[in-house]
Amino acid sequence: MAAAAPPLADGPGSDARGDSTWVDTAVDGRRRRPHAPADRVRKLLWLGLLGAAAVVLWLRLLATEPHLPLPLQADAGGRLVLQATGDHALLPAAGQVLQALVLADGSRITASSNLLPQSARWEVDDADRQRLQATQALLGQALEQPKVTAVFGNGLQLAVAPRPRGLGGLGTTAWALCALALALYLAAAVAVLAQPGLPALLFLALATTQALNLLVLAAGTLPGLGLPAGLAPLDLAWRLAADNITSAALVHVLALYPRRLRWSRAAGPLAWATAAACTAWLVLAPPPGLWWWAQGLAVASGVLGALLLQRHRGQPRNPLARLLQRLVLAGTGTLLLLSLSMALAERGGEVPSQLASIGSLAWYVFLAALLMLGPFLSRSRQLLREFTLLAGVSTVAASLTLLFLAIFGPHPVAALALAALVSLGVYALARPWVLGQLAGPGTLSAERMFDSLYRAARALEESPSQAMRQLTSLLREVFDPLEVARSQRSVSRVRVAADGATLVVPVPHPAGQPAGTIVLRHAQQGRRLFTPADGQLCERLLEQLRRAVAHDRAVEHGRAEERARIAQDLHDDIGARLLTLMYKAPDAEIEEYIRHTLQDLKTLTRGLAASNQRLSHAAAEWKSDITNRLNAAGCGLQWSFSADRDLTLSAVQWSGLTRVLRELVNNIITHARASQVEINLHLDRGRLLLQVSDDGRGHTPEAWAHGLGLGGVRKRVKLLGGQVQWVARAERGIRCEVTAPLLQDTAGNGPP
Amino acid sequence: MAVKVLILEDNPVARSFLCRVVRESFSDTIAITEAGDLESARGQIRLAGGASGLHGVDPFKLIMVDLELPDGNGMELLAELTQYPATKIVTTLYSDDDHLFPALQCGADGYLLKEDRFEVLVEELQKIVRGQPPLSPAIARRLLTHFRQGGRPDGRAPDSGFSTSPDMPTTSAPVPIGKVPDHERLTPRESEVLTYLSKGFTIKEIASLMGIKWFTVNDHIKSIYKKLNVSSRAEAAVLATKQGLV
Repeated sequence: MAAAAPPLADGPGSDARGDSTWVDTAVDGRRRRPHAPADRVRKLLWLGLLGAAAVVLWLRLLATEPHLPLPLQADAGGRLVLQATGDHALLPAAGQVLQALVLADGSRITASSNLLPQSARWEVDDADRQRLQATQALLGQALEQPKVTAVFGNGLQLAVAPRPRGLGGLGTTAWALCALALALYLAAAVAVLAQPGLPALLFLALATTQALNLLVLAAGTLPGLGLPAGLAPLDLAWRLAADNITSAALVHVLALYPRRLRWSRAAGPLAWATAAACTAWLVLAPPPGLWWWAQGLAVASGVLGALLLQRHRGQPRNPLARLLQRLVLAGTGTLLLLSLSMALAERGGEVPSQLASIGSLAWYVFLAALLMLGPFLSRSRQLLREFTLLAGVSTVAASLTLLFLAIFGPHPVAALALAALVSLGVYALARPWVLGQLAGPGTLSAERMFDSLYRAARALEESPSQAMRQLTSLLREVFDPLEVARSQRSVSRVRVAADGATLVVPVPHPAGQPAGTIVLRHAQQGRRLFTPADGQLCERLLEQLRRAVAHDRAVEHGRAEERARIAQDLHDDIGARLLTLMYKAPDAEIEEYIRHTLQDLKTLTRGLAASNQRLSHAAAEWKSDITNRLNAAGCGLQWSFSADRDLTLSAVQWSGLTRVLRELVNNIITHARASQVEINLHLDRGRLLLQVSDDGRGHTPEAWAHGLGLGGVRKRVKLLGGQVQWVARAERGIRCEVTAPLLQDTAGNGPP
Repeated sequence: MAVKVLILEDNPVARSFLCRVVRESFSDTIAITEAGDLESARGQIRLAGGASGLHGVDPFKLIMVDLELPDGNGMELLAELTQYPATKIVTTLYSDDDHLFPALQCGADGYLLKEDRFEVLVEELQKIVRGQPPLSPAIARRLLTHFRQGGRPDGRAPDSGFSTSPDMPTTSAPVPIGKVPDHERLTPRESEVLTYLSKGFTIKEIASLMGIKWFTVNDHIKSIYKKLNVSSRAEAAVLATKQGLV
């Protein structure tokens, strides 16, 4: 027998289904959830009542069955010693060794450790088992008599009357085991109601079987002598049947979950048939070495279960299957170890049978705990980690104790100490390994996560429309999922769906953008499940991104406001003064100069205050403006503009180009005495080409001494990162050519 | 009878300059009233018969309003004078559409840029009074988006995608209820004219491109102005009812 799988319906976890639907089901999962929870709570209550009633009935049965109130305990030599109690009738015999029980009809039962309540299931040797069964049968007969005489080693004879234990006399162990059984049953019921389906029902069957096993086990821990009537002969048969049912259910469940295997249809009935056949064989025609056969069958079913979970070539990795396989192997291994150590201990022959029963008790409790926690293993990584360590190490410790006791028989203290030391050693070694295996995004160091987050925030701020892409790459770095899918549906918050197989993340979108969702599947290349902790981490990442972007935006907003204020002050005050100056100019030349200054000021303040301009808009304004000016000066204009893309000019680029054009045109109007001006403006693959040609009287540009105006042109062009040159045209006039790279290249060598 | 003109301008040098421009532009006898701020302008208008309702015997025929005033914005006066039967011209140092467009929405019939030369100003003034107001490419663009969307109160041209300016109205912009009436929509020819203007073509070029006369282009521009005025007023009314002011 080995650990069983957390049950889930053939739903989002199944890989064999059309894989395109898992995205939708993951996103919609939460929407389907509220299907009458009140209904489920009611069903749970009914099931709970059923279970509680069964437990109560059992306890009552145990309480009302007669027993011999002799508090006996086996000592190291296997003899039964009477313990001292408050019972006055037994006081004289306290500390004495029980020799025999004499019944009213004269038959005598020799005292041996077989008198104590125990199960025949865990007797390794066939002969021992039969002896045990015979003794228990005799004891059962004795309990029907009104009086039994106990003969002690010092010749003392006490008459003891079998009487019911009463609820108070059941002992704490029995109560604890019954409670555990109820808890196990309820946990399975919850799991079934949460996700109904065939695997869940199988899990319930498995859990119920083990719960019943625990109840029967409780009968074996009662104080005093004597099992409930009818239990003794059936005990072995029931235990064997329970083992086989568990094995069959395990194999069947693992064939269905988490992946429905191709031959699952045949596997189920086959497993059950085999189980029935084996039970019949073991019970009705017990072969020699029954115990070995029973243990062997259990171990075999565990190994088969692990094989079913094995990933075949070509199939996608499923972290749930991986986890379950590990658990099944661990359980099977523990069972194997326990069996071997019990067998060895038995061979040694000096181990009190109580240690064996403690070993089997530990195993059942371990199995019950595993089954209870199974459905919730994927929920909390912490829980899984600690539980795995604790349960594994404690069971291993128990097995090792038995082993060492077998080896170091006469020195139980030494054996125990050695066992404890080895367990601690195993714990120390296993802890880092288990932590490493179950580790989550801790593998991504804090430094790298911070780096990725920072880059994502920058990229998100620059191009908010690419939010989905940025977020996808960030999540990929953090969680390393096997599959990533995007959905157009929107979810309200981060969610772990399909019991850890998928993580659903809403994409933050600015207004006007379509909402979206990113769905991740199978963390860490299928090695790990998503836990709620991952969901929280994801939410915090999103929060940080939002905050970073909002902060950047606020800072930028503040800066923009400040710039706008400066620009307005500059424009209104200085501009108004220049205007007055212009009106008062004594002659046309000064007036023109001041006008030029005023226009430059306006260009500068506009560049400072305004957001970025598109090239096409700027070109339209330039054209209109220059046309008016040239027309006023009596010049004709030939304008041609083309661009392979409508670039957005930065403030520096826009103001620089505006002033360059203005300067060149002014120069022509002032000096060239041209009649026709030709302006070509072309943007090709990020490079701007501007040609201003006139048919005026300019010549030999290389000999020009550049004044403020043309010097300004050179300076502006240099600031843009380009070149300017004046050449004489073949016919009359001058051509000025400006080239500038307007797009930033990848090395960041573009204009600011 | 003398034509009454009101010039509202706080800079005295600029004011006398504008007076010269006005006198040069028209051959009629001009009686210019000068005002240095909004309050005195309002006073003058009241004297001449009031801004709304009954107009005096002799109202102003031409009002030139400076946008940059010490005690407010010239647009406030424009908004008060929507019913006034005069040609309303704004004068401003700013030449960008962010400042001019709202003024046009308030009911201005044209604009003059203070930086221009005397001759240019005279010519522009005459054209406006004749009914051929100027239209810069930026303003043409704004007009296009304004009419395309049935009008938005701030008339801001929507940039591509999500801009980094945080004061972009997202959900607070009121959507006009009901269809935009036909007389507030542009005809296809008017749209075409606006599109060419927004690309920087001159009126002459547009006339030759569209194969129509120069005057027709001007007529289109005039009707665009009127529609802007009407639609802006209608919009203001819608806004007012929405805010419960009417």
